[in-house]
Amino acid sequence: MSYDRAITVFSPDGHLFQVEYAQEAVKKGSTAVGVRGKNIVVLGVEKKSVAKLQDDRTVRKICALDENVFMAFAGLTADARIVINRARVECQSHRLTVEDPVTVEYITRFISNIKQRYTQSNGRRPFGISSLIVGFDFDGTPRLYQTDPSGTYHAWKANAIGRSAKTVREFLEKNYKDEDVESDTETIKLVIRALLEVVQSGSKNMELAVMKRDEPLKILDPEEIEKYVSDIEKEKEETEKQKKKT
Amino acid sequence: MATFFGEVLSVYSRAVEEDEDEVEDENEEDQQIRREMELKRAVHVEWCSEVTQSMMNSSEKTLQCSDFVIAVGCNAAGFLSAYVLNSGDWTVVGSVSLWNERSRGSSRQSGVPPQGEPSCVFYRQRDCPSVIICLCTCHVAEDQLFQWTEKVFGYIQRRGLNVMVLADCSVAEYKTPDSPFSSGVPFLRALKSSLYGSQIICPLLEQPNIVTGLQAAVLSHCQVHRIPAVLYQSYSDVISPDSVTMETYKPALTCLSKLVKLNTCPSTEILKKLVQVNEVQSNLYT
Repeated sequence: MSYDRAITVFSPDGHLFQVEYAQEAVKKGSTAVGVRGKNIVVLGVEKKSVAKLQDDRTVRKICALDENVFMAFAGLTADARIVINRARVECQSHRLTVEDPVTVEYITRFISNIKQRYTQSNGRRPFGISSLIVGFDFDGTPRLYQTDPSGTYHAWKANAIGRSAKTVREFLEKNYKDEDVESDTETIKLVIRALLEVVQSGSKNMELAVMKRDEPLKILDPEEIEKYVSDIEKEKEETEKQKKKT
Repeated sequence: MATFFGEVLSVYSRAVEEDEDEVEDENEEDQQIRREMELKRAVHVEWCSEVTQSMMNSSEKTLQCSDFVIAVGCNAAGFLSAYVLNSGDWTVVGSVSLWNERSRGSSRQSGVPPQGEPSCVFYRQRDCPSVIICLCTCHVAEDQLFQWTEKVFGYIQRRGLNVMVLADCSVAEYKTPDSPFSSGVPFLRALKSSLYGSQIICPLLEQPNIVTGLQAAVLSHCQVHRIPAVLYQSYSDVISPDSVTMETYKPALTCLSKLVKLNTCPSTEILKKLVQVNEVQSNLYT
């Protein structure tokens, strides 16, 4: 097991242990969920409990990269800050150079390239974050991408990262329906339901960010989230009543 | 070693110079320093007056003991503290004080160090005085291990003695061809001396893993002096006291219950006192 000491060394069976350990660091971050609807993209995150004297505005898991792209991350906070800063600079540089906003895929590829470079440099360690990048391209197509510490990225219809990501992903696989995500409300509700699977003490510990086509990013107020949660609970009660009847 | 283009590495020669005159060159001052270091790093075992008295009265000047349970590390000590020491009438009967770079206790301490501080303390129960429990949370340096074992076991009668050691270890030290995360951390592994006859409650430690530290010194001592001994080592990914890691030692309760009265469900208050709660302060991960 001495192959895990230096990032640049493969183990005999082809593992890059530092990259795999970086993926373990991601699992230490709280859960983030992303769903791509037809006309809306939604990111939901589990808010970590902050210390009493800490200003919770400084603990942000959802960050805008540009007017049409935003992302959520899970893992090492400081690593995320560096990646986000570089991505934001790149978004503006792209606007100045080609006079167009970035596509979601472009900025995802940029972030993944940075991450990959750090898996192939001596003396450096990989970034310990995975991210969910969502937004709209200038042709109006909604996008959701996920990146991980190895520098790979994939497009998803719905995904989760961080602690309990596996549980949330299984819930999404069971409950994602193409017809449902045509409705904005249903997409938001799907994200909230997915988070409720793993978030303790409900809506107080959730933060949701929503972007509709040609509209700016909107962070939902706690009251709005509470309203969705009570709608979801009502629906649950009704399905249970129906089950009891049959 | 991977380097960048243009970096110049100084290469160290591995040739060994045979220098037999080295030791004779030591002058009076070096010898004095060496003596002082030996004194400073000496291991001191102290017993309470009651125990010292009973040792004086015995024929071999040793303490009669049928079962000696040693906990090495904060999780093993926390487990014994919550599940054993909290039920029944256990009193402190002795302690070991030592100094090294990581355990800067004073080399001569009177009485037991305050709770929460790294220490090495012996407990005995009034109703069952043949069982001794040792909670060792201070670091014992490699050069002090032999002294610790010789001195402590020198006070204990060897005939009829059984030893059980519970020890913490980091899962990063565990070598396995499988992914380390597939075994479900934390987990227990065992090692025993050849005379230990009872059943082991978990798999034996696989090769090429080795045990180091105080637990290894104790087990080696028991093997050499033909004392039945078993070591249960818990591999965990948490370095601080943690209730989940403490619970891995629970199967050892089946062996311990034959010896002493146990509290199989310690209250959460007792566990909370033992476990460091520092999660809210940790902003490392978001």
